[in-house]
Amino acid sequence: MTDPVILLQILWTGIAMSSYFVLFTVAFALTLKVEKLWNFAQAGLMGIAFYTMFYLLNAAHWPVWLGVAAAIVMTSAVTVAVEIWAIAVLRKRHSSGLIFFIFTLIFSQFVAFLLTLMFGTEPETIFPSVMSPVRIVGGIAVSDWDLSAVGITLAMLIGLYLLIRYTRDGQFMLAVSDNEKLAEIYGISARRAYILSGIVSALMICAGIWLYGTRAGVTPDVPIGLILTAVIATLIGGLGRVFSAAIAAVGLALLQSFSILFISSKWQTLLLYGVLFFALLLFPRGIPAWRVKRIRPSPQTVAAAAAPQGGS
Amino acid sequence: MDYLASAGVLIALYVMLAASYNLIIGYGGLNTIAHPIFFAIGAYTASLLGINTGWPAVICILAGIGVAVVASVALAITTLRISGDYLLIASLGFQLGLLQAVNNVEFTGGPSGLSNIPLTLAGPYRSWLYLLICTLLAAVVVWLVWRSMVGPFGRAVRAMRDDELACAALGRGLFAMKVVIFAFGCGVAGLAGGLYAYYFQYISPEQFNVAQSATILTMVVLGGIGTIWGPVVGAFVLVALPQAITFLQLPSSLVGPLQGLIFTSLVIVFLFLRPYGLVGKRMAGAAH
Repeated sequence: MTDPVILLQILWTGIAMSSYFVLFTVAFALTLKVEKLWNFAQAGLMGIAFYTMFYLLNAAHWPVWLGVAAAIVMTSAVTVAVEIWAIAVLRKRHSSGLIFFIFTLIFSQFVAFLLTLMFGTEPETIFPSVMSPVRIVGGIAVSDWDLSAVGITLAMLIGLYLLIRYTRDGQFMLAVSDNEKLAEIYGISARRAYILSGIVSALMICAGIWLYGTRAGVTPDVPIGLILTAVIATLIGGLGRVFSAAIAAVGLALLQSFSILFISSKWQTLLLYGVLFFALLLFPRGIPAWRVKRIRPSPQTVAAAAAPQGGS
Repeated sequence: MDYLASAGVLIALYVMLAASYNLIIGYGGLNTIAHPIFFAIGAYTASLLGINTGWPAVICILAGIGVAVVASVALAITTLRISGDYLLIASLGFQLGLLQAVNNVEFTGGPSGLSNIPLTLAGPYRSWLYLLICTLLAAVVVWLVWRSMVGPFGRAVRAMRDDELACAALGRGLFAMKVVIFAFGCGVAGLAGGLYAYYFQYISPEQFNVAQSATILTMVVLGGIGTIWGPVVGAFVLVALPQAITFLQLPSSLVGPLQGLIFTSLVIVFLFLRPYGLVGKRMAGAAH
């Protein structure tokens, strides 16, 4: 039997490592929910966000806050530009899902090739060192990076919840995701909702790639692999359920972390693809327990609806 | 001149891949992007048999086709009950999972791949002979796709793509049709894989990744999805134009990314300027 402290350590590390998966997944799931778009272009946005931060902090020596702010502005600007000059055009043409898939994937590849030309293929990190101070809490090693990762992720998720729950624009995003045409009849701008969801996703992507890039090396090819994890978590969480997708991302990260007890680390990625494949075959609409339950009308309501309408 | 012949071989192989993929996605309406994995299965099977048994190349390539067909039937039986975006993602998972396995096992050479594939058709005219063989086979594949799609079977396949329910109501066995076109298309990918391995004598998992899926898919869509000549034109344009950069004598570290940039830029430009494909015709009311 494995030592409980080791199990707790794997659990904690798994939760901390899931932070950027959660942020990427929420970004992907939100775009899918609001825009009905499998946006693989987010891999390209990850690359743009990372290399902007990398360049500004390492080559231009900007202060950290300014470099991060510039990366957020840059990523958001590209998101909005892609939405206005590409996605909206394809949407207007009623392009098939396949065309959207090709465009978003090719856009990410275009960005990856461009970044390869500019920065090469050597793995880079945002700071020269990825080491982080560690303290022992109850026998478990907890690093500053772990704490900041969990903190940033929780703050972003709470922020998103508050945006959706308590602001008009958040409610409009939900309305557009439910029924775009009906929302527009009520005067809600679908375009504004799309752009807002894109900007929120860009923020999540910047936070996620910041966490990833302060922990591990990034090459222009890395984001494509990261987006695939987000796709898997989104599918398992159930389409249209952003926070369930986030939980699924944590579950996948923990599955990968605990799998080191049974299999070699080189097979961990295969485990992920196996989960994707079988999840799609067995639960093509997400895990059944997480699906939205249909509210059945009460017998009285049905009877009232069926009764002949009297009066004038 | 050998360089031109090599580019020609590559174009012919991509014509086979794009034409067979067009059968699956363009005519059959099966949104799968796992075509490169059957290309890989053909290449790895032929190479491993060639290296370990010393059998003739033809036998090894035929075995590659056979294994690709068996694998495609296995995938079809498990996944073709789902459709649309879900099939797209499931096929992506299948491809990446299998590639991950190829990357991690020793007998496939891992990430380094296989480089000691036996030489066939040695001599000064090797490349031109290969070009002749590949061009003939590509022509046969295009003819087979055309022949199968102009008859009753082709009409049934197109009817299935346009309206599955109506087609089923007419008594057609949809599942069997899907499996047949999927297996045929993947068998052709296996053939292209075997030829690729024997010509270039080096294969690695990196050559069959998601970028390859995007490449073949793009050739089909930009050439003209659901047309006979579209994939041929798409393969020619998207292989030949990026190759032009090699004549500029740039450092090798720049050539790859520049070719990639040219390729992706062409795709983006064509996607917006010719959404119905280079040889496809705009249809009133059709979505592109």
